[in-house]
Order: sequence, then structure tokens, then C-alpha cells
Amino acid sequence: MEMKNKTVNIIVLANLAVILLLVTFAPQLMIEPGKLIDAHLELTDDCFNCHTPFIGSTPDKCMECHKVDEIGLKTTKGLVIAKEKKNVAFHQKLLEDDCVACHSDHKGVQSFRPIGYFSHQLVAQDMREQCDGCHIKPGDALHLKLKGNCSQCHTIDGWKPATLEHEKYFRFDKHHDSTCEKCHIESNYSDYTCYGCHEHSRSKIREEHVEEGIRDYEKCVECHRSGDEDEAEYIWKLKRRGLSPQDYPAYRGGSHGDDDDDD
Amino acid sequence: MERSLISKKVMPFLLSFVALIAATAIVDALLHLSGLTWIGRWLGIPGVLLILLSFFYSMRKRKKISFGRPKTLLKLHEVLTWTGALMVLVHAGIHVYNILPWLALIAMMVNIISGMTGQYLLDRSRRYVAEKKASYAERGLTAEATEKELFWDSVTFDLMKKWRAVHFPITLVFSVLGITHIFTILLYWQWK
Repeated sequence: MEMKNKTVNIIVLANLAVILLLVTFAPQLMIEPGKLIDAHLELTDDCFNCHTPFIGSTPDKCMECHKVDEIGLKTTKGLVIAKEKKNVAFHQKLLEDDCVACHSDHKGVQSFRPIGYFSHQLVAQDMREQCDGCHIKPGDALHLKLKGNCSQCHTIDGWKPATLEHEKYFRFDKHHDSTCEKCHIESNYSDYTCYGCHEHSRSKIREEHVEEGIRDYEKCVECHRSGDEDEAEYIWKLKRRGLSPQDYPAYRGGSHGDDDDDD
Repeated sequence: MERSLISKKVMPFLLSFVALIAATAIVDALLHLSGLTWIGRWLGIPGVLLILLSFFYSMRKRKKISFGRPKTLLKLHEVLTWTGALMVLVHAGIHVYNILPWLALIAMMVNIISGMTGQYLLDRSRRYVAEKKASYAERGLTAEATEKELFWDSVTFDLMKKWRAVHFPITLVFSVLGITHIFTILLYWQWK
């Protein structure tokens, strides 16, 4: 019985020794988490081409072949990439050289860190604001006439939901519960008109403003931030005093509200 | 008689094994549904720690430590290895990228089955040596001393000796493969 036990133990230990040797000399078989991407297959023989023991893959190892200034412009062999179309030099504008933050070379690690994982936080601030450097503007009527300023409606977390703080320009109220097209003719969001509504005919508006001594009245929202005419009067008086909009003290309401229909 | 033996004696251990697999599937599904699969990646650590803690029984048996009731420590060994194995199974998931971790996992499962077999054999041994209880009482031993004697009698029963001759090498294999897997992770993981 003891001899049998000894034999079993020897066999077990021998098998373990073989496995340990395989782990040491054939890591691709025993421990590699999936094959390397095709472009790196020639590096497969030596894990330490990319891995620093007990630390991981450091950017300097990647940059031995991939010069940051040339990424997207030239191959690692120095050949110019003819068909690369980029408005923005993305890799050249990263905050930090941290290749594995986005790139995982082993196919098996895809579930943890997909190849090509991206975050806007990796990009320098000035580049982050140049949305159209990487993103093509939609061709719909809403976006066609807009240039830049994507962050007015969109965040870097996602295109949707898109929000617009219309209150910065004009506050909607019960009298101004209208569609975009009512004020923005032909979906031109860089301009507006208040004459689309029967309440604001040209002659009526002209008459009311000239009566108050106001001759320049075409830029309505400079004073009229809502249907509240007291607020408009308040802003107009501040403008007359030469104050600029960011210096306007907050309006706290007046004797008239936006319920007045005397225009 | 045979059916009765299987249903009364074998079934509890079979159910314990099936429960382990079922619990793994449920926990894995919950982690996926809640988008917390990253927890599974790290579950290997507490799993291994629980399994290591279970070795207090082995140390007590070899008198390396003197605290703790052997019976309680054995129960703890059974519970901790089951729970630790659950965590390791969830950690493994169903992703197959290479050979070594799966060899370690298979060794762990063989170890679990071996352990459950030991539980079954121990139960049989205990019933067999329980007959000796009367004779210990006749010799004037106290209830506690009798209990202690009976426990060591059952675990040292010949059948258990044979079982241990299998369980220990399996444990050795699992330990070596597990340690090697952990070492390679430490060596190649992206720590920075």
C-alpha cells in the first residue's frame, strides 16, 4: 500500500513538473489570454516584448515601434498611410501616453477592455471641444446651419439625450408654447423672428416701441427674455445705463406679469 | 435497500455538488444582468482566501494549532471550501482562453468531489465506531472525552486512511496549479 502511494505521488509530481515546464517554456499555450492581434503575431514568442514583470505593459514598450507623432500618419516601418483621413491628430493630442487604456492586444481580453476602447477624457481639453474634428455633423435641417458649439446640446457621454437650454436665449411661457418652426423659419436656428405670431405684427410692434422711444427693436430677445414685458423693460433700462448682459442683476418680477395682453 | 442507501446517503452529497453548480450559474447570471461582471474577475481572491482558511482543520489535525474543536473545524473546512469553490467558479466563468487556469479549476472540482466523498465515508465510519461508545462509557470516560475519542477514531478509521491517500495528492495538484495560476497573473497582469 505504501509503495502504491509512493508511486502515485511520484506520478503526480512528475505531471506537475511537466505542467510547470510548459508554463515556463510554452506560455502561449498555458497562460496567454487569447492570441495577439494579427499585426503583433511576430511578437508572440516572447511575452516580455510588451510585458514588464509584475507591472504590465508600459507605453515605452509600445513606443519602441509606434512613434506617437507618426501614429495614424505612418506605419511602424515608416511608410506613409495614404488613405488615412483624419481632421484631428488624435493620438498626438492625448493627455497622457497610456496605450493599454484603449488597446488590448490579446483577443481574450476583449470582454474586459475591447480593442479600441475610447474615452473623451483621454483627449486634451482643446481637442475635446473640437467635436467635428472626429465626428461628422448630421445632414438634417437642424444641424446643417450650425457650426461648432456641439456642447450646447450634447455631452461627451452620448449624443442623446440632446438638450438645449433655450432659457439662456428665451424662456418659454404659456403664450410661447410653440413649435421650433414658428420662430426659426426654415429651421434656421441661428436666427429667429417674432413676427410669425399674429400677436406680434410689424406695425403693432413698431408702434409700441417708438412710443417708448425705442427705434432699434429688431433684436427682440436682447430685452425680451420671456413674455414678461416688465422684465423686458427692466433689461432695457439696464442696457440704457450701459451695462452688459452678464452684469445684469437678476430680475425679481414686477407689477405686470406675462398675463398682460396689452400689446 | 440499495435505493434507500443512495437516496439517504449519496443524495445529500450529490445535491451539495449540484447546488454548487446551480449557485455558480445564478451568481454569474446576476452579475451579468446587473453589469457587475468585473466583480467576478476579482472573486478569485476571496475564494482562495476562504479555501486557505479551511486549512485550519488540517493544522488542528496535525496538532500545529491547539485551538478549536476538531468537529467544528471540520465543518468549517467543508463550508469554507464549498463557498470558496463557488467564488472561484464564478471567477472562472465560461471563458476559455488558455489551459493552466482550467487545469487548476478541474483540479479544484476533483478536490471538491473527493472532499464530498470523504464526507460520505466519514459518516459511515462514525456510525461504525459509534458502537464503541458503550465500551468507552464502561471504561469511565466523560461524555466530552468520549466524543473526542469517537471523532478521532472515525477519522483515523482505515477507510479514511485510504481516502486520504487520494485526497491529499489531489489537494497537492490543486494547490500547485492554483499557485502557478496566481503567480502568472501577478507576473503578467496590467497593474499600472
